[in-house]
Amino acid sequence: MIFFFLTSGLFLGWSLGANDASNVFGSAVGSKMISFRKAAIIASIFVILGAVLQGAGAANTLGKLGAVNAIGGSFTLALAAALVIYVMTKFSLPVSTTQAIVGAIIGWNFFTGNATDPGTLSKIVGTWISGPVLGGIFGILLFMLISWIKKISKVHLIKFESYIRTGLIITGAFGAFSLGANNIANVMGVFVPAFNLQPLDLGLFSLSSAQQLFLLGGLAIATGIITYSKKVMETIGSNIVELSSEAAMVVVLAQSLVLFIFSSSALSGFFVRHGLPAIPMVPVSSSQVIVGAVLGIGIYKGIRNINFRLLGQIAAGWIFTPVVSGLIAFLMLFFIKNIFNIDVGHKADISSTGVATQAVLPDAATSELMKLILICIVSAGIMAGAYFLLLERKKRRELKASEEKFWKNMK
Amino acid sequence: MALFTRTTKKLILSIDEFFDNIELGILVFREAIKAYLNRDFEAYERHLKKVDTLEGNADKLQRMIESDMITHSILPQHRAEVTTLIDKMDEIIDNIKKSLNEIFTEMPEIPEKLNRDFITLAEESANAAEELIPAARAYFKAPYTVREKLLKVYYFESETDKLSLKTKKRIFQDTPELDLAHKAHLRFIVHHIENISDLAQRAADLLSGMAIKIIM
Repeated sequence: MIFFFLTSGLFLGWSLGANDASNVFGSAVGSKMISFRKAAIIASIFVILGAVLQGAGAANTLGKLGAVNAIGGSFTLALAAALVIYVMTKFSLPVSTTQAIVGAIIGWNFFTGNATDPGTLSKIVGTWISGPVLGGIFGILLFMLISWIKKISKVHLIKFESYIRTGLIITGAFGAFSLGANNIANVMGVFVPAFNLQPLDLGLFSLSSAQQLFLLGGLAIATGIITYSKKVMETIGSNIVELSSEAAMVVVLAQSLVLFIFSSSALSGFFVRHGLPAIPMVPVSSSQVIVGAVLGIGIYKGIRNINFRLLGQIAAGWIFTPVVSGLIAFLMLFFIKNIFNIDVGHKADISSTGVATQAVLPDAATSELMKLILICIVSAGIMAGAYFLLLERKKRRELKASEEKFWKNMK
Repeated sequence: MALFTRTTKKLILSIDEFFDNIELGILVFREAIKAYLNRDFEAYERHLKKVDTLEGNADKLQRMIESDMITHSILPQHRAEVTTLIDKMDEIIDNIKKSLNEIFTEMPEIPEKLNRDFITLAEESANAAEELIPAARAYFKAPYTVREKLLKVYYFESETDKLSLKTKKRIFQDTPELDLAHKAHLRFIVHHIENISDLAQRAADLLSGMAIKIIM
């Protein structure tokens, strides 16, 4: 039953992978600089790594906003957010997973009578504005840098393009890592306070309860990337690429840096050690950061016809998405609690750390089952990766043979 | 990554070699016209063979460049334009080969008093095509300089037009000793020579647009 509750989070992860992976590799795939297969494998690996290694920071912030203390509540919130995203995407409205889940958590706070911490809320809302702005600033600075390097180096266009191609793979991998680190909070953040699994010992390292959830969420995102992101990458990617290949790389890098900044505890610690204010660990919308970076480059290049309508839609989304998501979450919590008689949470007993006490303590059997599931999925993923790699090599061999045959006949 | 480097290097070399072939073809064309007007048919035949080889090489390189660019997805945003440019430049050497072959087959009798006109016309037309090569090379290394280099192509093309008109006038108005068929035959040769600069101009137009696009 516990695993059934996780399905809504996994669905949210799947839709995040299907939609947001295009922000990372869309430009490279859309321009045919990297094959979708290669992009999907790289993105999947790095999304999972980012989620497991660095996902805790942003997830903690969501936990502070509202520590959902019943697994039924976590399920409902993830489902409400997923529904909002689905409906808004269906009507071609710009939507952010972050804003949807934040709205849903506030809805839960209202429903259960928990107070919403205004400090945490303002920290989160602040990053919705600062994220795209930072994206724009990074976009301008990086684009200036790359244009200057291109001009002074006088490197051959084809060689430059091959560097860009390598750069797109590296920035894409970094982007996928940052996406996993930052956005896993949206997918699994609501489940973290409600789950307490036994640590999973894998010999060389062990995974905490939250990390196991992040690994599962990361796998869901990876599934979304592999199964459904191709079309989105090819459509959205080609729109970004219209800028130019180097601008596309800059956009991905700017987005990756912003996501990384808002999810790296180490960087925040570094800031604090040097007397600077701590960086809030908050999940930000990768799509909106991308829009900021594209606009930044547009402003730098002197493009005057800025799409104010798109900007207006984004600003409206900051209010509309969380409000709608909060209302839907509230209604769904009401129905699930009263019709299905499932515990969706209660007023929290706030501990000294400000985080709600754990409400669900799964037994050893659940932990064992989780271990088995994770090992099976990871093994299947590795096998699928190896199979794709073999296919790629076979394709390359066939291509080489056909080329040799062509030139032999030409002679 | 190694595959990228290997393919990239090979492609850069192929493109450079292609430009070398076109450049040499233009040089040989100039020498061939001079040899023909000097009645040195042995040298002319040698030049014709050389152009034939260069044109064959250029064709082979063109196919190789196109194939490499498509199979390895190189320059996806500019590929169509680069291959069109290569095609347009290949047309120049095709035209050179065709013109020299026709002259060799038809053996037009060019009166000695028109020798100077034909040599200057061939020089100017070849100059226009020749100036296209550094501009095309610059597209890959310093696109900011392409347009200033193309100015020379346009200059020589307009000079060729003027010279062509002047030569045709001389053929039809200052050589009453030639019959109309002979005059028409000479005009046909003038058109062939002039066509080289026209093709260079067409390639220059494309290149000019490509340079703007890449700078923006």
